[in-house]
Amino acid sequence: MDLSQFEADNSVSCRLTSPIPETCKTEDCCLGIDEAGRGPVLGPMVYGICFCPVSRKEQLKELKVADSKTLREDQRESLFLKLDEAKNFVGWALQILSPNTISTSMLQRTKYNLNALSHDAAIGLVQYALDSGVQLKEVFVDTVGPAAKYQETLSKRFPGVEVTVRPKADSLFPIVSAASICAKTWTRTTALDTRTVSFYPKTKSWLLRHLDPVFGYPQFVRFSWSTAQTLLESKAVPVHWDDDEEDGDKAAARQNNTSMLSYFSRGDSSGSNTHTHRFFTERKLQNLSSL
Amino acid sequence: MPMSCYSSVTTVRLDAIKDAETPRVHSLPCEIEHDGPAEVSAYFSATAKERKHEKTVSFRGRGLKGQEVSCPKGYTGLILQEVHKPSSDQEDGVLKVSSVFNKFTYWNLDTPPSSDDGIVMAMSWPQVANAIHAPLED
Repeated sequence: MDLSQFEADNSVSCRLTSPIPETCKTEDCCLGIDEAGRGPVLGPMVYGICFCPVSRKEQLKELKVADSKTLREDQRESLFLKLDEAKNFVGWALQILSPNTISTSMLQRTKYNLNALSHDAAIGLVQYALDSGVQLKEVFVDTVGPAAKYQETLSKRFPGVEVTVRPKADSLFPIVSAASICAKTWTRTTALDTRTVSFYPKTKSWLLRHLDPVFGYPQFVRFSWSTAQTLLESKAVPVHWDDDEEDGDKAAARQNNTSMLSYFSRGDSSGSNTHTHRFFTERKLQNLSSL
Repeated sequence: MPMSCYSSVTTVRLDAIKDAETPRVHSLPCEIEHDGPAEVSAYFSATAKERKHEKTVSFRGRGLKGQEVSCPKGYTGLILQEVHKPSSDQEDGVLKVSSVFNKFTYWNLDTPPSSDDGIVMAMSWPQVANAIHAPLED
């Protein structure tokens, strides 16, 4: 599998796809969606879809795909290889959201939350399948959030496709188990290949030990996670942005660097209190009288 | 280049200019409560990307978009370092030039820098100043 696109720039979001089986372009198909790597503060989050003709669902069962959580890592990998071998009727695609994409999206000026981010990734993948000519009739989605609303959104977005959103769908529908296997295999692979931390336990102590006072962390850390934010707030140097919601007085004091008392002091003899023209304030230009 | 401030004098030693470093300078859209060395190349420069003339990077998980800004023609940017910190306002201070730069990267939060941004506009001040201080011609 070609990971070069992701390796060239692992700070973005990237899509990996299998070839589209010919039968998927002529026969009615079902498609499963699952995600992996939602929780951890480190590493990418992967969205996976897997699709095959409705008539061959049983054959998928024969591959013994099961809820990927009940599988060991090596079992999962061999199942992924089996899925890849069944490429004459099974297709898959993955959307890898890098930790940097997750951080910068969630920390945008206009907040873009993780649910919206993952829903958009799922929608993008379904659209990709449709655009590639897959005759989609049924879509099964695993979700951790409220299922009904998500199902409604997806049904509206893809008219003519029967959408089923269900918690734990990966243990109910083989096509979702297959998607889950693809996604889980690749969270590990991409995390390892980018030489990030491949083990998730002891994350907190790792984060504590590797904190840079100015920059915080390398880009494989999800800065938007509360674990990271709490550590940054307590251990790193403070950083202030113009859209911070901070205490009014404190922010004002910091921005103007003037206290009330300064109005009573004698001040500069040249009269620094004379009003500076907007031309200068807009350009952040100041007279320099002392260094 | 002495500069008077009350009764003390601040001297800027320009002799160090020829030995000064010429680092890549970045202007960030936030206030960092830190004054001193930082691992800029490892954490920042190395992760900056340029695609189709758009520079992107992230700082503390926030996405920045950047643009190269040149110093006004005939001007050089200086980074000064305090050599001697006056212990009272009666005492003189000495600054030396630690680095010089002729261009820097200006970064904005989320949106690409534009010609309406303060720093970009500020670069035209010397030209405006020249014009308004030039003798009037009849």
